[in-house]
Amino acid sequence: MKTFLIAGFAALMGTSALADDIGVSMAKFDDNFLTVLRNGMIEKAKGMEGVNLQVEDAQNDVAKQLDQINNFIASGVKAIIVNPVDTSATQAMSDAAAKANIPLVYVNRQPINVDTLPDNQAFVASNEQESGTLETKEVCKLLKDAGKTEASAYVIMGELSNQAAVQRTQDIMDVIGGPDCGVKINILDKQTSNWNRDEAQNLMTNWLSTGTKFDAVIANNDESAIGAIQAMKAAGTDMKAVVVGGIDATQDALAAMQAGDLDVTVFQDAAGQGAGALDAALKLAKGEKVDHKVYIPFQLVTPANVADFLKKN
Amino acid sequence: MSEAISTGGALERQARRPRAAEWNVLMALVGITAIFEVLGWILYGQSFVWNAQRLYIIILQVSIVGIIAVGVTQVILTGGIDLSSGSIVGATAMIAMSFAQAGMRNGQDFTQAVFWAEGWVDLPVIVPLVVALACGLLAGVVNGALIAYTKIPPFIATLGMMVSARGVANWWTKGQPVSNPTEAYTFFGNGLRGFMPVVTFLVLAALFQLALTYTKYGKHTYAIGSNAEAARISGINVERHLVLVYAIAGVLAAIAAVVVTSKNLTAQASMGVMYELDAIAMAVIGGISLSGGRGSIIGTVLGALIFGVIISGFTFLKIDAFYQQMIKGVIIVGAVILDQARQRKRGRG
Repeated sequence: MKTFLIAGFAALMGTSALADDIGVSMAKFDDNFLTVLRNGMIEKAKGMEGVNLQVEDAQNDVAKQLDQINNFIASGVKAIIVNPVDTSATQAMSDAAAKANIPLVYVNRQPINVDTLPDNQAFVASNEQESGTLETKEVCKLLKDAGKTEASAYVIMGELSNQAAVQRTQDIMDVIGGPDCGVKINILDKQTSNWNRDEAQNLMTNWLSTGTKFDAVIANNDESAIGAIQAMKAAGTDMKAVVVGGIDATQDALAAMQAGDLDVTVFQDAAGQGAGALDAALKLAKGEKVDHKVYIPFQLVTPANVADFLKKN
Repeated sequence: MSEAISTGGALERQARRPRAAEWNVLMALVGITAIFEVLGWILYGQSFVWNAQRLYIIILQVSIVGIIAVGVTQVILTGGIDLSSGSIVGATAMIAMSFAQAGMRNGQDFTQAVFWAEGWVDLPVIVPLVVALACGLLAGVVNGALIAYTKIPPFIATLGMMVSARGVANWWTKGQPVSNPTEAYTFFGNGLRGFMPVVTFLVLAALFQLALTYTKYGKHTYAIGSNAEAARISGINVERHLVLVYAIAGVLAAIAAVVVTSKNLTAQASMGVMYELDAIAMAVIGGISLSGGRGSIIGTVLGALIFGVIISGFTFLKIDAFYQQMIKGVIIVGAVILDQARQRKRGRG
């Protein structure tokens, strides 16, 4: 706050009139993913001339976050970046910023009013649809590389009521049914593990007990993929003969990939989202046009590039 | 004291009477298994039961919740309820696993270990074990003391513990999973060729079945559940006994936490969510009366097996995931309806 005040004072004095002050309100600081995102933003700002970031912690409190935004507005920042505490409470934030004509960028969590954002507001995140698609396409490729024209697969879904699980499962079906796969994949069965490693382990053992041959296990998340791997290893399945895919690139998943058990996972680029949000905010501050939805691509993680991701999330 | 002994004799007869209830549960288990067997042959030309791996998973997948159900059964026998066991699993899992981490992973230093800075990695396996049991004991004693001495209903006391213990689980590492246990720690979930969870469950079940049937502890438990006032008048220290029963339930939840983290090689803050309800459902399906004083651990074990048969049967028949949940609910309610019918019949007779 102090440095910000000094910076603001300096701006008033006209000595650094070109400085771009950006106010950032994060939902909370003590979340690993959001910390990586925040650091991505800070790193990006460090490399730029005349960009001052003022980062505040909303401590998961909706009211506190709105206060922070109003304070940013009052101190005349050039743009505001918000990682919303509650995505259904964003209308008031958009209204406050629009009234003061200060650009506003939402990051990572999709605001409820994403479709009615004013021109100088935007949303930066990753497109959930990409993750399941990337995963399944890589599974297809690996099966094709193994010389298969036809293959069978099990699908482990996340919680049935969860939007990400529904979307990822749909992506699997779309890729398999579409022209891009190149291998004809029969889904033997799809069941839920509720994102949960233990349930996935039990589910996989149940599948193994039917004695049905299969070539791949495509899971909605890494925990489920790891559960399936543990069950297969306990049953003596040859892990080289089975393609296993997950999503999230968790530390456990990366370790499983290094051990040669997990074949595919997908990384959501937190730092990239932070940097992207800052980019969008600076552009809007200069009066340039920015799309209402800016998507930072997911990244495919395979044994070839797994080392690059170990220190990332 | 002489009064207590004479009451014990009467109660012992009462405790043995419901043997017929367990017989019903066994018949239900056989019946449900037979249905899957027949459908298996019709739909897939494959046997459901005649498959060693399937018999293994049927019991393995209910062993962890089954360990909790052994404790929950005893709580229900006193006329109480324990909603906190799932959260106790979560909190205990996180805390205990932090003391069970190995210092290396895939040949590199495992710097993400919770106590890496303190150097508490590769600790002897007794450390996480003792930590776990202490966590479970503490939570159980708090539950029991709240119920026995502040007289708030068990539903509320354990609901509070359920929320708070989950809070502890989330707070411990701020939601980060705790993984990479030492080789020795993996024994509890993977030892004896993967049978360790099953053996743990069955040994604990047998132990408490014997305790409930043949010891003063058991007689007092049934006595309090049948009529707490009568139990008090006959000289039983009801408060102290309730604390003991809830403490045992807490410790059993902690043992389940050790097994589940060891089996999965990880602890997650969300571990054990809904376990309490599955455990209660196992007890209820097994003929334990929610009004207390009636039922046995044997019933709960059979209830757990019915659970396991249903889960494996559904996967075997490839029943759609959405329908599975719905049918599971119907089976639980159906079991309670049967239980009520049995109770009314006994009341008339």
